Amino acid sequence: MPAIEQRVHNPIKIDEAICIRCNLCDWICPGDVIYKEEDNKETLPVIAYPQECWYCGLCDSICPVDAITVVFPEQMLHNKTDVVSLLGKPVV
Amino acid sequence: MKQDWRTIDTDLLVIGGGVAGSMAAIPALEAGLTVTICEKGRVLDNCGSVGCGVDHYLTVMESGPEWDTPEFLLKHVPDLTDGIVDMAVTTRVIHEMPRILRKIEGMGVDFKDPKTGDYSRHRSFGLPGAYHINFDGTDFKRRIGKHVRVGKATVLTRTMAVQLLVKDNRAFGALAFGFRDGMWTAIRAKAVALTAGDVNRISRNASGLAFDSWHFPYNTGDAQAMGYRAGAALANMEFVETTLTPKGFSAQGLNALVSLGAYFINKSGERFMFKYDPKGENARRAVLADAVVNEYLLGNGPIFVDCRHLPADILDHMEETLQVDRYTLPAFYQQKGISFRDDPIEISISELSIRRSGVYFRGSGLAVDTNGETSVERLFAAGDCATVSGGIAGAAVLGHIAGEGAVERVAADNGALPAIDWEEAERVREEARASMARPEGMPWLAFEDRIRETVTDYVGVRRSEKGLRLALDTLSALAKREGDLSAENLHGVMRVHEARNIRLNVEIMATAALARQETRTRSSHRRLDFPAPDNENWRKFLLVEKGSDERPSVRTVDTSEALASAFARKSPDSAQRTVA
Repeated sequence: MPAIEQRVHNPIKIDEAICIRCNLCDWICPGDVIYKEEDNKETLPVIAYPQECWYCGLCDSICPVDAITVVFPEQMLHNKTDVVSLLGKPVV
Repeated sequence: MKQDWRTIDTDLLVIGGGVAGSMAAIPALEAGLTVTICEKGRVLDNCGSVGCGVDHYLTVMESGPEWDTPEFLLKHVPDLTDGIVDMAVTTRVIHEMPRILRKIEGMGVDFKDPKTGDYSRHRSFGLPGAYHINFDGTDFKRRIGKHVRVGKATVLTRTMAVQLLVKDNRAFGALAFGFRDGMWTAIRAKAVALTAGDVNRISRNASGLAFDSWHFPYNTGDAQAMGYRAGAALANMEFVETTLTPKGFSAQGLNALVSLGAYFINKSGERFMFKYDPKGENARRAVLADAVVNEYLLGNGPIFVDCRHLPADILDHMEETLQVDRYTLPAFYQQKGISFRDDPIEISISELSIRRSGVYFRGSGLAVDTNGETSVERLFAAGDCATVSGGIAGAAVLGHIAGEGAVERVAADNGALPAIDWEEAERVREEARASMARPEGMPWLAFEDRIRETVTDYVGVRRSEKGLRLALDTLSALAKREGDLSAENLHGVMRVHEARNIRLNVEIMATAALARQETRTRSSHRRLDFPAPDNENWRKFLLVEKGSDERPSVRTVDTSEALASAFARKSPDSAQRTVA
């Protein structure tokens, strides 16, 4: 069986054709998740720590050209968790 | 020894640039003091829990009716907090509310509804009057942050404070490192304000994503942990907070829907909240969460929030303001393919946090006196890391009080700042750097996941002696792994420190929860082995301090006393009294 690469969901989709490589998304991210090389108009912002995203959308809200879309993963949109499993194990 | 260290001497050091920290900085700047702020974010205008916006503000306004006076609200505070509240500090906070509201308005925050030109005030969360102003607070933090920047504070961004400098129970600064530039800074200060927020990432939620949390996931109890290690006392740490969120996305926004008339219904379509509280959906958050916990345990889930009965103009208003508290909530509903206008929204219990357990004015965190000063001299605390909190209003008011308290302390100062122990500073830095040099060590995320498992199972909404002891065993075992935590880079070093702070806060919570042998405020502290409130023996605070064995040590303080009555240090008030 071939090894299946466990891919981490990318919550922040950046449209390369629109992005003006300006830095604002890196600056505003409260979680130090987005890294953009300063003073380089060639490079795109990198979502360095996708698992640490709060899904707050500050990057989307500040993007001057609307190049960012916040994309929710399946486990958030169509969640199957049994809520009772979050309510503790009663051991007395 | 102090090679490659940047050193800063300042009047006031603020740790955490959110609402409380910014508000603490303002009176100091106004008094002409130098202020340095350490902040993990990058832009002060958007730092902290409400950097994305906020939609309600709790305040007394003294607008005329009796309910709108400090005295009326104060009369109800013991009931709102089930008797566990520091009335001395709360009295000062509530009395200062109108003044601080006006001050924030002076910074350009518009609390009024543009349609009516008046304040839109609502009654919610069990409060005995319409104390919540619903408003568009998208710019709230931006206005306050701008005020601090214009006041010329030095802001160290993408910087995490990791250890306080303390000598003879007096705080005089902190050690901090920049996780983008690797710069280590030793800051000496005449007063320090801890304003780094609540404790998150402590338990599992429906999505299972550690950073998908109702509250700010980058608040990891850094202030509480640093304060504790420096000898400061904490209180109310046994109480845990949870809320109701759309299932799968732990987002804010519940208050707005509930205060505008949304219902909660169970799988049978029953509007069940009145079974639990005569106020129904307007009950305290702790009661709302507990009712949903109970409905799920009774097998009445899934539970929904239902807006379908509301008139079109209310639904329009909800739709217009849905994104104010969490910008991405409309996108979530859209990608999920539902609309709250037409569909009941399935909800879940959120992950847990240590904040104020769904109760206004009973904060879990660093115990403070009426000046916002902790049991360590010159160390102040405000906001969600202090024992009196109440959302952004609580953070703003106590933050400002703490700032004024710090100004007083600095003015009374006549001695030189103590010297830094460079050997100890170097040890702290080397320990941090070492986590980058052991790729084979324990990843911080795995370490945290173990904490989240044990809290969810044994320290959450159903507790018992046996379960709490199991959790404390796990937490002690994890403490021994702290020296083995590995970080990939500087960013990871920050997360390693956060993970350690989370573990310590949870250990303090479990220790206090084990000591409180009763149930109080429902799911906030439910002991299966002591299922009823015990007012005779437990109308007391639990004060937690670092014991001689370095483990949390617990003692009780009667709630007829202020927490500060148990402090070892002399408060400025008592010193004056002695002189008089």
